[in-house]
Amino acid sequence: MTATSKIEPVLDVSNLTTSFRIGGEWYPAVRGISFSLQPNETLALVGESGCGKSMTALSVLGLVPKANGRVEADHIRFEGKDLSRLPDEEMRKIRGNGISMIFQEPMTSLNPVLPVGFQVVEALRYHQNLSRAGRERRALELLDLVKIPSAKSRFKEYPHQFSGGMRQRVMIAMALACRPKVILADEPTTALDVTIQAQILSLLNELKAETDMSMIFITHNLGVVAALADRVAVMYAGDIVEIAGVGDLFARPTHPYTEALLRSVPRSDRDTKTLYSIPGAVPPLTRMPKGCRFTARCELAVDICRKQNPPLDALAAGDAHSVRCWVRGNHDRAALKENADV
Amino acid sequence: MSEPLLRVSNLKKFFKVRRGFPNPETVIVRALDGISFIVQRGQAFALVGESGCGKSTAGRTILRLLEPDEGSIEFDGQDVVNADAKQMRALRKRAQIIFQDPFSSLNPRMRVGNALAEPLLVHGLMSKKEANERVRDLLEEVGLPRDAGIRFPHEFSGGQRQRLGIARALTLNPELIIADEPVSALDVSIQSQILTLLRDLQQRLNLSFIFISHDLGVVRYFCQVMAVMYLGKIIEKGPVPKIFDEPLHPYTVMLRDASPVPDPTARKAFERIEGEVPSAVNPPSGCHFHPRCPHVMDVCRKVYPEWIDVDAQRSVACHLYTEGRGGLPVAEAG
Repeated sequence: MTATSKIEPVLDVSNLTTSFRIGGEWYPAVRGISFSLQPNETLALVGESGCGKSMTALSVLGLVPKANGRVEADHIRFEGKDLSRLPDEEMRKIRGNGISMIFQEPMTSLNPVLPVGFQVVEALRYHQNLSRAGRERRALELLDLVKIPSAKSRFKEYPHQFSGGMRQRVMIAMALACRPKVILADEPTTALDVTIQAQILSLLNELKAETDMSMIFITHNLGVVAALADRVAVMYAGDIVEIAGVGDLFARPTHPYTEALLRSVPRSDRDTKTLYSIPGAVPPLTRMPKGCRFTARCELAVDICRKQNPPLDALAAGDAHSVRCWVRGNHDRAALKENADV
Repeated sequence: MSEPLLRVSNLKKFFKVRRGFPNPETVIVRALDGISFIVQRGQAFALVGESGCGKSTAGRTILRLLEPDEGSIEFDGQDVVNADAKQMRALRKRAQIIFQDPFSSLNPRMRVGNALAEPLLVHGLMSKKEANERVRDLLEEVGLPRDAGIRFPHEFSGGQRQRLGIARALTLNPELIIADEPVSALDVSIQSQILTLLRDLQQRLNLSFIFISHDLGVVRYFCQVMAVMYLGKIIEKGPVPKIFDEPLHPYTVMLRDASPVPDPTARKAFERIEGEVPSAVNPPSGCHFHPRCPHVMDVCRKVYPEWIDVDAQRSVACHLYTEGRGGLPVAEAG
């Protein structure tokens, strides 16, 4: 694709930092990440607990608790608006409408004392100018769309009468209610059994093919990423350390963390003689090292890694594959080293 | 072949559940409906299945943490089901369990060193001083600092707590460890650390494992033999790589195909995966899997299939393998 034919991204996040106050000090859980989401694209955010992947989604939607959290960004652009500077009132019109979210726990995200049909209708009542009958018709359509069997008779049932997989389908129906441009799915299949997970993944793939929605899919499961994503951003301790097309990332994992992660997953489709183990653990937010945050666990670490965080640079000019690494990335190291000494 | 370490035959465990409002009725959940298997010494045996299939109940019933309703359990030739309290205490030294959530299985108010030393003192095996030394060795064995014993459970991360769970299971030098989803609550990088540790311990101490898991990747890495469970029954068992490469039972095929593989070139449509696990209170007639099975026949709706030994190592409970039928279509098994 040439620069001139580039399509306008649906969502463009630039230099997003989300910090939390711990004992009077502010610590960044997400630090200066940038990415954009193309129309009808699924971008996977992958990483282990505490890497900032969920915080990224909550920051986009303005759902980070204000008491202890702070979201800063150059911009979070969606439909010509900068979400990072939008007043609460305006933000509410976007949440569940232009951008909606699917959470991990379908058990706790549904209201147990309201019928599921009512909960699907709720989003429509708030955002769309439909008659009561029109709303119910649309809600039924949605429940059919997410393949809830005999949706009509189950419309008035309560969440406890639904299985885990069916509840997650209801959550997806709610998220789709207002035909959002962007869906943020935060580990939507993690709590489900594998056969149910497979069904939900194929449902999401179908929905994506049928509508023009884009999706940010947050997960720690590399198998799920491979089954669903178009592009992948790997996160570690608040940084995007590698971003690439899904085929490229799995064929050519370049950041030492990505590579180690792939070698750490036992696979069901082939024999693994020895499993690679990344030594150590992610440092706590309050004790992040200087420089590259993966240094302490990295086999390739050199001096500069301990001093300065590397930039996220394309592997080659114009390459969509970018890596944040002094050793594996494409940097003019000599020039950067001089900067480091300053 | 030498005498197996554990022989479980026709083990059953039913739960009575009162449910319904405002007029509750008592229903019976057949959590374990007659399972049989053998674990050899030094072997890692996997029980695989989705939630509600009875795999955890099996683990607990074997240790008599739950009393079995029927069937027999033989540990090293000794009857476990009818063992009295004294014999049971001796048996518990030899068989231990690791739980999924290591936080709720450690006493939050007890220093972990004391928690680990407790079984040694309860069984009167050592003096306090010896026990403390043993605890320090154990901590080192599972990759924790030798002096970590003075800390409380909350001071450890998830992965470290699982190491403590393993150390606790190892205190009495058991021969069999039942590991109930020991890595499913952990991050990928920590999961591989724990799996590597478990495999190292298995080889060094010649431990046998019953490894309960829903993650086929983990099972393929860690186990040599596996049994697939569905609604309280084992539907297929055999050696590990073979079951993955040529599954016999249609449910095993479904489980394998549903397990995501970290390889986008192997991306597949999941169209053959249908339906959900029915309730164990009221399982379907005949073969429990028939409502979801792509190869369902008339007989499947009426009769539960017999065990069929396909070869010396593999057996399956499926009507496709009764005489005159050729089993799964080749395209599917591959």
